Amino acid sequence: MVMATKAYDKSFREEVYKNVDSGEDVKLCMQCGVCGITCPLRDKMTHGPRQIWSLIRAGKRDEVMDSPDIMLCTSCYTCKVRCPRGVKVIDIMHGLAHYALEQGIVPRAETAKFGKVFWDSIYKTGRVDETEVPMRYTLTAGPIHGLFNTLEMMDIGRALLSHKRMKFKLGPGIPPSKKIKGIKGLKKMLDKAQAMSPGKEG
Amino acid sequence: MDKNQACYLCQGCGLGEALNFEKLQEVVEEAGIGEVKTHEQLCSPEGVAFIQGDVDGGVNAILLGACSCRVKTNEFDFGPEVIVERASLREQAVYPSEAEYEGEEEAGEDRQMLAEDYLRMSAVKLAKSDVPVPFQLEEAPETSVMVVGGGVAGINAALAAAKAGVDVFLVEKEDALGGFLGKMAKLAPENPPYQELEDTHLEALVAEIEGNDKIKVYTGNTVTETKGAPGNFDVTLSGGESFRCGAIVQATGWLPYEPEKLAEELAYGSNDAIITNVDMEAKAKAGDLGGIGSVAFIQCAGSRDQNHLPYCSAVCCTVSLKQAMLVKEANPEAAVYVIYKDIRTPGQSEEVYREAQRKGVVFIRRGEDYPKISESGGKLAIETADVTLNDTVEIDELDLVVLATGMKPNNPRVVEPPLVALGMDQEAAKKVAAEAKAACDDWSVLNLKYRQGPNLPTLKYAYPDSHFICFPYETRRTGIYAAGTVRRPMRVTAAVEDATGAALKAIQATKAAAGGFAVHPRSGDMSFPEFAMQRCTQCKRCTEECPFGAINEDEKANPLPNPTRCRRCGVCMGACPERIISFKNYSVDMIGSMIKSIEVPEEDEEKPRVVVLVCENDALPAIDMAARAGHKWSPYIRFIPVRCLGSINLVWIADALSSGIDGVMLFGCRRGDDYQCHFIKGSELANVRMSKISETLDRLVLESDRVRVEEISFGEVDKVPQIIAEFMETIEEVGPNPYKGF
Repeated sequence: MVMATKAYDKSFREEVYKNVDSGEDVKLCMQCGVCGITCPLRDKMTHGPRQIWSLIRAGKRDEVMDSPDIMLCTSCYTCKVRCPRGVKVIDIMHGLAHYALEQGIVPRAETAKFGKVFWDSIYKTGRVDETEVPMRYTLTAGPIHGLFNTLEMMDIGRALLSHKRMKFKLGPGIPPSKKIKGIKGLKKMLDKAQAMSPGKEG
Repeated sequence: MDKNQACYLCQGCGLGEALNFEKLQEVVEEAGIGEVKTHEQLCSPEGVAFIQGDVDGGVNAILLGACSCRVKTNEFDFGPEVIVERASLREQAVYPSEAEYEGEEEAGEDRQMLAEDYLRMSAVKLAKSDVPVPFQLEEAPETSVMVVGGGVAGINAALAAAKAGVDVFLVEKEDALGGFLGKMAKLAPENPPYQELEDTHLEALVAEIEGNDKIKVYTGNTVTETKGAPGNFDVTLSGGESFRCGAIVQATGWLPYEPEKLAEELAYGSNDAIITNVDMEAKAKAGDLGGIGSVAFIQCAGSRDQNHLPYCSAVCCTVSLKQAMLVKEANPEAAVYVIYKDIRTPGQSEEVYREAQRKGVVFIRRGEDYPKISESGGKLAIETADVTLNDTVEIDELDLVVLATGMKPNNPRVVEPPLVALGMDQEAAKKVAAEAKAACDDWSVLNLKYRQGPNLPTLKYAYPDSHFICFPYETRRTGIYAAGTVRRPMRVTAAVEDATGAALKAIQATKAAAGGFAVHPRSGDMSFPEFAMQRCTQCKRCTEECPFGAINEDEKANPLPNPTRCRRCGVCMGACPERIISFKNYSVDMIGSMIKSIEVPEEDEEKPRVVVLVCENDALPAIDMAARAGHKWSPYIRFIPVRCLGSINLVWIADALSSGIDGVMLFGCRRGDDYQCHFIKGSELANVRMSKISETLDRLVLESDRVRVEEISFGEVDKVPQIIAEFMETIEEVGPNPYKGF
């Protein structure tokens, strides 16, 4: 992989340090590569975490912000646990993804959509409904794609139903998911947390 | 001395069951020791009292048939006037042959013969040993120490020595003390939590020196002549003053690697904004960092590079980190880049690395290639490989590029002709010697008036150390110790520690000179070589081969030994073709007679005999440990400890082979660049001498396979039985020595 040669530029790293959750940790990376080598998704990544940090330091804004890699993290936490410098790898990864979305950049559409459905479910009901979330996610690709996708997954669905691992629903919201007790309190907490995220304060 | 000999045989540790003590007793009596006693455990308080009783009654030469001479040394020490010779029946006879002994009559016989031989050899050794009389200098020995170099190591060495109560002469060539410490703006963090840059505190150190009446400071002076030996070195300074001191610490520090040599690789000299870390330090000291908007440090500038300094100076990374932090302190907005191969921050300086990162310094890993530095629009630009990005990157708009150059010792390089020259013909040897001489630096720090030259012998890169792990501070000139960056590249904290260590070593050397005993590694040894001068042929081999330059010579090339420079290795004894050099308790005749006392069975008995001359420093402990670890080996082996493989005189090998011994093995320390020889070139010398043994063997019409040199280190215990087994196999293939029975 050869990228266009471009001079080091300090503006993007300053931007990340300031606006991304735990962004200042990027400074601390010593390029040992433990994060990349422990990542279960390393085969799917063009740039592992440490390369992302290098790109940030080099000021390669587009390479980082457009990279699907920053949205691949499954939050397994192995890298964060193993980092000898204590860099909060996961927090930065999610922070970068979040920051990209805020800037109107969608590095990886599927993740963005799934995240939105997942978030909505939690925000509205206080729980992740195992029937509702996949249904809504599969419909994000349009009704026809959604229908075919659902048919494809029918066997798994039937097996889950017969073992009572999933509740039956006719469609999204039919019948509506149960809300947890104190959903109002949770919403307040989530709103506050969102308002506190980096780059939002002040 | 009049010897009143007695022998004590120990039956403890299973020896009682394994050996026939009645027969052993007979053997010792035959060897000339009338009094032989047996005890069930000699090292027990009762056993020691048993011997002590006889010592009080007049016994002054003891043969102990028990365990190795390396154990129970306190128990079996009966004072300096009593010679104790120990036959290692346990480690060398019983333990290694145990398995074969079980139920087998013949194996038991072999073991008995083994033990008997060891007792015979020890009896001979005891008969030929004398109590050493310590050497005394003619004039009263000095206890003072001269420290050459007034930098951080020199200052601290002087202070440490003065605190220990000795007078110090501190010689510094500049007009003020301080050395490189005086040129530093700040020190990188040296104390927990290793995040704050620190002051040098030079003024306080200098004030401490000036306030100490034990320290006499000679600034603006160099050493023009050093004569003599530990205990009385006579020193003359360039200022004309002279004094006498007991030992010397050389703390002459370091020289920056010449950046001019990097003109091609790193464009040094093409632009004033390309400077070295030394220049950068001066800039920082002058408070001239505020205007720097962007700076790049290039690590390993001429270090770890076969065309420049092949080694890592271990400090440049920390220095660049410190300077990067200084730039950030002066201007937090400055863009600071460190372009490195590997960041090497030994010890706690890893914290400095972290702190520099926290301050926002950007690190770029460059790989092996040097970055390209160019000029554009009045500023500098760098194009470098970025290994983590697998790409070439550019950094432009740089105000300054700092080359992190390494350290060279401030000490003249000495190249010795390879020892193989000893075996060459005159012409070839002369050529090799001339080549070596040409590669030496022709300046000197100490201007030693030694026959072997004015400088301390150096290792590969002109460091005068002899082995920085095993014998720190020891140079190859006894009584002269190296400390600080002249010994190896190091930071301030390490230099302070070094200075203290070297100062204490120097004091130790003066005590040893006064008491007439040896310094490391034969610490406390009272014996010293004596020369039967009437038979000397002035061949110069002792003066040439002494690893420590202990022997001067007069106009007629007669050797003039300096016993206080001597480390008692016996290399001179091994070198002397006339065999005129001997110690009171170690001589050519002694070992030769020991070899001859071994009983060699007739050829038809099919019991070969092999003599192994074992270095006492590494190989003997390895053998002891192997025996104690339960390793077994052939009962046909006879070990004879020697002070160093370099002390082996070729006549011993001839003695052994002509008396029917089937093979001789030399078992010693590793030689070469990573030598572990305690006397530096002893095993190397032994190897060279052995390569010439073929002459002797030819004369005896014997196979050269019968003689072998093996190297072993302290930790290679498992290799002991393996090496022995291989050699025994060879001996079996070669067949019995035809000289048996003559």
